[in-house]
Amino acid sequence: MAGNNKGRRLQNKKTGVKLLNKLTLSITLSKLGIVLLFIIILPFIVERVASEYTNYHLRNQKEAVMKSIAWNGVNYYLEGDDSYGSYTMLKEEYISLEASPDIRLDTIETTRRLVERDTLVYRVLSYTFQEKGKTYLLEVGKKLTSINEYNRPLQRIALYVLIGLIILSSIIDLLYTRYLLRPLQLIIKSKLLKQSFPFKETAKPVQTTTADFKYLDSSLISLMDQIREAFEKEREFTANASHELMTPISILKSKIENMIIQEDASEDNLQRLTELMTTVSRLSRIVNSLLMISRIENDQYLMKEEVDVKELVLEVVTELEDRIQGSEIQIDLSLKESFIFQPSNKDLLFQLIYNLLNNAIKYNVPKGSIRITDRYSPEHRYELMISDTGIGISSADIPLIFNRFKKVHVQRSSGGYGLGLAISKTIADYHHIEIGVESEPDKGTTFTLLFPVSKA
Amino acid sequence: MKVLLVEDEKTLAFEIELFLKKSFYLCDMAHTAQSSLQYLSANQYDFILLDLGLPDMDGLKLLLEAKKLNPEAAYIILTARGKTEDRIAGLDLGADDYLPKPFSLPELHSRMQAIARRKYRLNNSEVSIGEFVVDIQKRIIRHHETEIELSRKEFDLLSYLLLHKNRPLTRMQLSEHIWGNFIEDDNESNYIDVHVKNVRKKLGAFASTEWLETIRGVGYKIRKQA
Repeated sequence: MAGNNKGRRLQNKKTGVKLLNKLTLSITLSKLGIVLLFIIILPFIVERVASEYTNYHLRNQKEAVMKSIAWNGVNYYLEGDDSYGSYTMLKEEYISLEASPDIRLDTIETTRRLVERDTLVYRVLSYTFQEKGKTYLLEVGKKLTSINEYNRPLQRIALYVLIGLIILSSIIDLLYTRYLLRPLQLIIKSKLLKQSFPFKETAKPVQTTTADFKYLDSSLISLMDQIREAFEKEREFTANASHELMTPISILKSKIENMIIQEDASEDNLQRLTELMTTVSRLSRIVNSLLMISRIENDQYLMKEEVDVKELVLEVVTELEDRIQGSEIQIDLSLKESFIFQPSNKDLLFQLIYNLLNNAIKYNVPKGSIRITDRYSPEHRYELMISDTGIGISSADIPLIFNRFKKVHVQRSSGGYGLGLAISKTIADYHHIEIGVESEPDKGTTFTLLFPVSKA
Repeated sequence: MKVLLVEDEKTLAFEIELFLKKSFYLCDMAHTAQSSLQYLSANQYDFILLDLGLPDMDGLKLLLEAKKLNPEAAYIILTARGKTEDRIAGLDLGADDYLPKPFSLPELHSRMQAIARRKYRLNNSEVSIGEFVVDIQKRIIRHHETEIELSRKEFDLLSYLLLHKNRPLTRMQLSEHIWGNFIEDDNESNYIDVHVKNVRKKLGAFASTEWLETIRGVGYKIRKQA
């Protein structure tokens, strides 16, 4: 059971996307979106900033010019002419000064100017002032292309810098998120993956400062404790109940036995007493089986022996020889490998193999056969197989046969499989032996024991 | 032979006593450790049947005390505890056998017989039945000088019946003796019929086996001969 659960859990892990990856992906995507938005609106911002800056620059120029004029007088520039004009070499900026009609102007606007046959677009500050009763117009211009040409490189540089920043911050996010999520992974590992039922002791809490993880962890621990307590109680109950039942069963049994040897018992009563004794024996077997299972689960059997599996199988076959002969069953015993299993408990292993072989005899057809074979699995684990040509088990019943509380009914037997297979399963689990079954109704059943690698 | 039965469950103690008396044992009963020690200091017993679960003293401690007072006796532990450690501890402390409850009274008797044979080295373990002689200890059955070969289980079955001569033994009692705890369901007692059939066939080739009676619906019995 535990093995299957683990397999299923691993599958889940494979198909889903990890929380860590999801978080990193979503953070990175949202950053990327914001940055793209920023890069799209960057030209507008740049234009606005550039235009503000240009205006500021033009005004500064104007102030500088006005200061010079105030110092030197207009004629210093005009030199008797009507107008004065000065261009930088590439015509990016110009300053012009000319006499003008008497109007008041102080504007900044974008206009076209024809300069030496080229029509150029300038941002122009126009300003009128008066000196010695005459009105002059001062124009300070700055070519617009020279403003806009910063835009593209600026955008490109911004793009590079921002992408670099995104990569850097994503790496930092990834590392930090991983650090943040580490307790979660520890919780999954220590509480779910590494645990198999029954939980032997209280799990250790995972160290974390994140309240949510603390809550999750403590909830899991308390859940596991509850399950464990319930399981312990069940085990304790089974042990106590079985023990308390033994004495009354003992009394019943002794009384019936004494009555049977009473010489004056009539034939009729003798038969009744025999039936009564059979029933008491059945009761005592059930109690004994439950007690045995609970003792195994309580670790009351020492695991200190070395067992030669081949020899053990031979011992069991000898023990059951009479039955095999009585049922005229052919037994094909071909054990080719050698395997010393340790640590183990010989009595329990004997019981395990006895139960399987006994079933193979009991549920066989007259003159059927039993094959006992062995091999080493690809993982170098010893494998023992017991196959019969018996009545088989229907596929619906297979999951139930090892269950101590579910009864599978078999035509030939009054009591079904009893607790024999539940005991076998408990013994196998106790020894970490994987017990498997394959069966086809009316063809036969194969029980497989896959042993763990022996520890020296 | 003298037996001291130490068992606090009185109803069970009376049944065991009744059975032992019918099997010609002399039986004293003690229900507490204290009274059992009184019996032990006043008498010497051949068998001491000891329940480990006594109210006033740990059973294993009582075993040690009793061994000081009755060193020669054979000790059989009867218990419902049945833990493997108890069993090992009991045998380590010098108990001769260990019977977990619920045990069968004929089984108790046969264990006592086996201990008696071993402990008191009874030379004469031969029993004759019909024209056959059975040596229970050496596990041999002869017809005059011819040895007859029986399988292990067949011999177990025959000697168990012989030991309880003239008493009916049920299939279940016989199964429990032969297979112990390995019985899985009621039908397994049918194997007893197969064994009996084989015994009758093997012995019948030499002489009559009419002393081995079938009791319909119950089991088998070896009839006491006139």
